[in-house]
Amino acid sequence: MGIYQYDTIDAAMLEDRAAEFRAQVARRLSGELTEDQFKPLRLMNGLYLQLHAYMLRVAIPYGTLSGAQLRTLADVSRRFDKGYGHFTTRTNIQFHWIKLKDAPDILDALAKVGLHAIQTSGNCIRNTTTDPYAGATAEELDDPRPWCEAIRQWSTFHPEFTYLPRKFKIAVTASAKDRTAARAHDIGLKLRRNRDGELGFEVMVGGGMGRTPYLGPTIREHLPARHLLSYLAAILRVYNRLGRRDNIYKARIKILVASLGAEEFGRQVEAEWAAMDRAAVDLPDEELARIRGAFGLIDFETLPPTSAAFEVRKAQDLAFARFARNNVLPHKKAGYAIVNIALKTPGEVPGDCSADQMDAIADLATRYSFDDVRVTHAQNLVLPHVKLDDLPAVFDRLSEIGLAAPNLDLISDIIACPGLDYCALANARAIPIAQHIAERFAEPDRAEHIGELKIKISGCINACGHHHVGHIGILGVDKKGEEFYQISLGGSGAEDASIAAILGPALPAPKVTEAVETLVETYLSTRQEGERFLDTYRRIGAAPFKEAVYADAD
Amino acid sequence: MTLQALTANRLSDGIVVFWSHGRWVERFPDAELFTEPAPAETHLAAAKALPTELVDPYLIDIRLDDGQPVPVSYRERVRALGPTIHPDMGKQAEGGPIIEAIQHAAGAGRSTGRLSLIRRK
Repeated sequence: MGIYQYDTIDAAMLEDRAAEFRAQVARRLSGELTEDQFKPLRLMNGLYLQLHAYMLRVAIPYGTLSGAQLRTLADVSRRFDKGYGHFTTRTNIQFHWIKLKDAPDILDALAKVGLHAIQTSGNCIRNTTTDPYAGATAEELDDPRPWCEAIRQWSTFHPEFTYLPRKFKIAVTASAKDRTAARAHDIGLKLRRNRDGELGFEVMVGGGMGRTPYLGPTIREHLPARHLLSYLAAILRVYNRLGRRDNIYKARIKILVASLGAEEFGRQVEAEWAAMDRAAVDLPDEELARIRGAFGLIDFETLPPTSAAFEVRKAQDLAFARFARNNVLPHKKAGYAIVNIALKTPGEVPGDCSADQMDAIADLATRYSFDDVRVTHAQNLVLPHVKLDDLPAVFDRLSEIGLAAPNLDLISDIIACPGLDYCALANARAIPIAQHIAERFAEPDRAEHIGELKIKISGCINACGHHHVGHIGILGVDKKGEEFYQISLGGSGAEDASIAAILGPALPAPKVTEAVETLVETYLSTRQEGERFLDTYRRIGAAPFKEAVYADAD
Repeated sequence: MTLQALTANRLSDGIVVFWSHGRWVERFPDAELFTEPAPAETHLAAAKALPTELVDPYLIDIRLDDGQPVPVSYRERVRALGPTIHPDMGKQAEGGPIIEAIQHAAGAGRSTGRLSLIRRK
């Protein structure tokens, strides 16, 4: 109900995939396959070798989980890992202590609830990102999830697009507020209506982070929605034909779009699309209707727009009121709310969730949110459909499990990649920096006084921590073997997207929190009424911030 | 004198292992330290011939801090310890003087190994 259920074809496919990987693992363990032969196969099943063990990245398609699926993730973390998982900026989950010999059993367990690790690695179309409030917010023009599901069905194992020049990420958003970082994706799709009221997509191509960040330019203002898949295919064909395969650092589509120019790239896509048999690719209306039906069957009650239980508790309990103020958002249905669970309790690891916490959230979802949990690209979770009447009970349970931090989008709601604590690619640690900053700003009155401030931390230039689009971005760099941190300001992954600009020379780890403190003080001393940190930065520029930070750093 | 140790990840579970006088061990404090390049290279070549036991064996540089061996590179110190955010996890959990020396070590050179793996990922 309210969540797309895999059909028998999907279920059989997942079983086959797990069985295939079991055979591949056996061949690797026996020596029949070399590591070079096996590595692409394990990566196609989300299995990486990191610093301490294997890491399994499990796909959470468009960030949507059922209670049963979340319980299975909890079970996997208990049986095969160390009792926790890490939600990522791609709205997936990673387990960091996996044994190769256990991986086939894990895939079997996941497959039983329609989960898998497909499209979490390799140069394919990865898991699609969408608005974690999809189907719940009144802001959206259309529910983006059916389109994401269509992309999933079309892209999974697509023979033409399984060996792209590089990985490929798509985001779909349908609200004025962009909670997907659409312009920072290889393709960003924004649902909109044209003057005739026809539903379509604004198509942005060539965004991305990594060592060369770009915001994707719009190559088509309004693509009729029914042509989504054929147009995506046209984009990918141009990319497959012209994208560089000789240099991994220049292989993403953003480099191609930047080198050709958005206009010429768009022209080539249009030419490809015009020559294509669109009907053979586009989603038939009846199939779209079937997918839509699977998402639209929520049996909301007819409720008054206010709840006495909610209002009374708010009036009596300051902590609850703060949680409601910061983490609870309006729902499209009267009497319901969207509840954000910030996996950002100051001092804890951003995005980490213990097995017990997963089980508790799954139970909350089943009991109070139509069995629906969402994962956000900010490494938080969402219960999308909670009755106002039930908010006190949900808050109480979240408090019991240590996940009632009332800090959504505040300074302690920090994105951080696993960094050098786990990742073989990292140059520096990201998590301890996030923990230190969050603890410094743990006092909730102060955090609210500062207001919306998004800090994003990456442990290397691959930018899994989205530092390029942080209001304050922090990048770990290796300076002669020491951990240093480069600070950038002014980025945004939201509807006002921008790439952050480097503030100055990188700082040693012990000076990072002090620098953030200085940035905040500079902002507070100069902000005008209603300005967020980002607004003040955009108004006054980098100079006052730079002067303050580097005066202190001397 | 250049000190080196031989390390890899174990194929079956990915756990970090070190060569120690005829066997592979999980604890860095038990690692054999090579004082000469020749035997280190010999054992590295032998490790590369064990593809069903190991992934990507390589040599790491070691220095002595107050007489205790510690990996020179920060990355290798994290591998020898476990995640710094979870002192109860990984090899650091059991403690001991060498683990403490690694935890307190500062400064580093770039990792001497795994660069080929990093490039390929």
